[in-house]
Amino acid sequence: MKKMGFRAAVGAATLSALFASPLFSQTTFHKYVALGDSLTAAVEGSCLVTRHQQRSYPKLVADALAISDFQQPLISERAVTSPTGVCLGAVVAGGTITVGAVSQQGVPTNGTLARPYDNLGIPGANAAHLVDLRVANSTGDTANRFAAAILRNFPGGPFDGRNAIEEANLLNPDFVTVWVGPNDVLGAALTGTAIDGVTLTSTAVFEAKYAELLLGVGVAGRTVVVLNVPDVSAIAFTTTIPRVLVNPTTRQPVLVGGNPVPLLGPRTTATCSTPPCPLPEGTLVTLGASALLAQGLGIPASLGGTGQPLPDGSFTPPATLNPGVLLYPDEVALIRQRTTEINARIASVAAARSATVIDTHALLDEIVAHGYEAGGGIVITSAFLTGGLFSADGFHLSNIGYAIVAKEIVEHVNETKGTDFALPDLAHTLFEPDVPVITATGVIDPAAGPFGFSLSMWKDLVSAASSGEFETVFPAPGKRFKTRLGR
Amino acid sequence: MTRRGRVRCPETFIALALFFLAAAPAFPAGFSVFTQGAKASGMGLAFTAVADDPSAVFYNPAGLGWQKHFSVQSGGSLLTKVDGAFEGANPYPGTGFGTEDQHKTSFLLPTLYAVVPLTPNINFGLGINAPYGLGFRWDNAEQFSGRFIAQNAVIQSTDVNPVISLQVAPTLAIAAGADYRLSKVILERNRSAINPFTQSVVDVAHIKLDSDLQDNHGWGWNAGILWKPVNAFSLGATYRSKIKVDYDGTGKFTQRLTGNAAFDAAVAAQLPQGMQDVAVAIDFPASANLGAAINLPADFTVSLDADWTEWSSFDELLIDFANDAIPDLDRQTRWVDSWAYRAGLQKKFGSLAVRAGYYFDNTPQPIADVGPILADADRNAYTLGLGYNTDHWGVDISDIYIKFKRRDTRGQESTDQFFGRYEESANVIGLNLRLSF
Repeated sequence: MKKMGFRAAVGAATLSALFASPLFSQTTFHKYVALGDSLTAAVEGSCLVTRHQQRSYPKLVADALAISDFQQPLISERAVTSPTGVCLGAVVAGGTITVGAVSQQGVPTNGTLARPYDNLGIPGANAAHLVDLRVANSTGDTANRFAAAILRNFPGGPFDGRNAIEEANLLNPDFVTVWVGPNDVLGAALTGTAIDGVTLTSTAVFEAKYAELLLGVGVAGRTVVVLNVPDVSAIAFTTTIPRVLVNPTTRQPVLVGGNPVPLLGPRTTATCSTPPCPLPEGTLVTLGASALLAQGLGIPASLGGTGQPLPDGSFTPPATLNPGVLLYPDEVALIRQRTTEINARIASVAAARSATVIDTHALLDEIVAHGYEAGGGIVITSAFLTGGLFSADGFHLSNIGYAIVAKEIVEHVNETKGTDFALPDLAHTLFEPDVPVITATGVIDPAAGPFGFSLSMWKDLVSAASSGEFETVFPAPGKRFKTRLGR
Repeated sequence: MTRRGRVRCPETFIALALFFLAAAPAFPAGFSVFTQGAKASGMGLAFTAVADDPSAVFYNPAGLGWQKHFSVQSGGSLLTKVDGAFEGANPYPGTGFGTEDQHKTSFLLPTLYAVVPLTPNINFGLGINAPYGLGFRWDNAEQFSGRFIAQNAVIQSTDVNPVISLQVAPTLAIAAGADYRLSKVILERNRSAINPFTQSVVDVAHIKLDSDLQDNHGWGWNAGILWKPVNAFSLGATYRSKIKVDYDGTGKFTQRLTGNAAFDAAVAAQLPQGMQDVAVAIDFPASANLGAAINLPADFTVSLDADWTEWSSFDELLIDFANDAIPDLDRQTRWVDSWAYRAGLQKKFGSLAVRAGYYFDNTPQPIADVGPILADADRNAYTLGLGYNTDHWGVDISDIYIKFKRRDTRGQESTDQFFGRYEESANVIGLNLRLSF
């Protein structure tokens, strides 16, 4: 009996030791909520539709973590009927590949869900919106309009008075991701205007709102992962159109006397005292310039242009924003500095709340420099339309881009939590054609210019990232202009 | 890429070499092929200290020292991939491709050996065989999930190996020879691109790299020693030098049309036209074999081998296009030196011999390099053989069943970012005929 008792004791001790060991302590998650902006919602090609929402990074992460019942504010997709609010895609115009409207955002199809959505990505939202937007104005700015459909906190709505944090907490998640900050900084790229407090959120305001946000969602026992802000020059929107004149057909620089010819801008430079002046090195020209180049703006008269400068953005107090298409080196530096500051605050606030950070800034820089080896010899790059990372608006990611983010998140969880969740199936996204389910041949704007980006596309994109505090006044649409180049 | 100043081989020799240049699946570790004689194959390839037929030119040329007749031995190995399956895992290629298979054809690797006694103590030997080869070809090449890395990877080689052996004492012989290697490489893959209209990956071109046979050769040497201090016991050792082959070849890009005229035109504008000059170099590794054989009563022979191959010399695969506009393929393979351990047994009944053997072969390929070009693995092999030999003629047959250990790249570092599980098995039938005068 004594001997048996000893054996039993040894057996029990061994069993308890085994169950206490890491082998038997695999972390599982039961509820996941994603907070963020248009990147979290899965905006692509300037619109939010089910085709892309089903491939949002939160959805892919939820699938990888075996989270069941992951609900999103799905929006239908329909044929193009209006020139604004369109979904962009690649189309053929004059035998070349360019951007056009391929479909249009429809209406919410999951609006009767009795509980908050698990994906609370609100297009247009910055850090302050996630904290302060408690009553959405369905006719207000982009963030308000989307909040009305996603947070459903419009007056008299099911979650009237609740902000994104409270809706997330209603779901009692054990895993939360937060990717907010891009609209606090990168909206400056869309408007071509970098002005502190206007297109750039001040670091102090961001830090205060971000701290409030993570305090709200970072409850004990919850795993919180945050993502930071990419560099302004890592997005196709600012890297596609070169600073120098290119032949619209070959996309190769036009050489005069063996030298490339800079485009013209409104600012003086060290070697030019009378504007318009050649754009100095380091200036970024945004996709918004495409339609203006087609009008001959920015192109010297000697080369067939108007000799008029491309517009630089400006702000007219008290509340008028005049978007431009140029980011001069000092503006790029200011955006970069703010990005660095905001990313530092993201890191410090996250550390204080036991959240971990995924460095999407470094990830995108790496993809710009070397491409992303998605597997099996397939390399994804940041090139506009042909690279695979960005969608047809050059600013938001594509299905493939969001799948890469999802993979990084699951990998990060595995590394930080010691889990072994299967990574998302990238091949599924890589090989699956992403085309509208509706029959659409694409609507082409003849004034879109050599890079296929029309003024209305740019306006749509700007309004998607604008806070609504300011009135935006765009350059007037000009006459379509044909340069002598490329004929 | 110029070919001026290179010595061209006689056409007849080329024809002969072509016969021997069979694409062999890499059944022994790496892409070496050790099944160069049916007798050795029956005895688990543990033959360094036995080396008592003309295949000694390959296994240990010092063994020729005891072979006192003019002999010719001809034969070959039929290598068959029984199973070669890949099961994908996330993140790439995922599970959507199902199980993908390697092509399961059989390859015939011929061998020819001759022994010519020059003096009572000095023999000349000649071997023509293919000690290195690779044939890694995937079924459904246009759908295979790894097709942008490799659809078909082939290394063919033929060695012409003249040796001289010297029996310095009744118990000791030494030998040395020159090793001329003629080789050929083929790599086929598709090129991917993002179709801007579907924002998905499509095949836009097929690339075939093919080295030119005539100018792709290298020289090396080999040596051996065999010591039989007593009748019942022998010890042998051999060494083969590294052989570097510089290949000149061509790369041909053939467009795969997607059906979208605008996109196809854009692809065509960027695709290299015509034959593109390409250079590849492969360092075939040095190897050393140590063996012992014991003759037991009742005509039993037990042989043991430990074989080392300096695979660390294969640390990089660089496919260099002369045209700078075409990206080179520069792959850090980082292989490591490998060991194989072999044991064989023979029981004679007069002229009849029954053989069996076993060997364990360590793969030189680190897990990060495992991919569609080559997925090598440690393997266990079981061998059987039968021989009938008289002073004037002999016939030997053998069979080797090779079971590869499962190789799994899931969750591992992977150069190709290609994850999943490889399972392989193979069978090698050997046959040779000998005539002695």
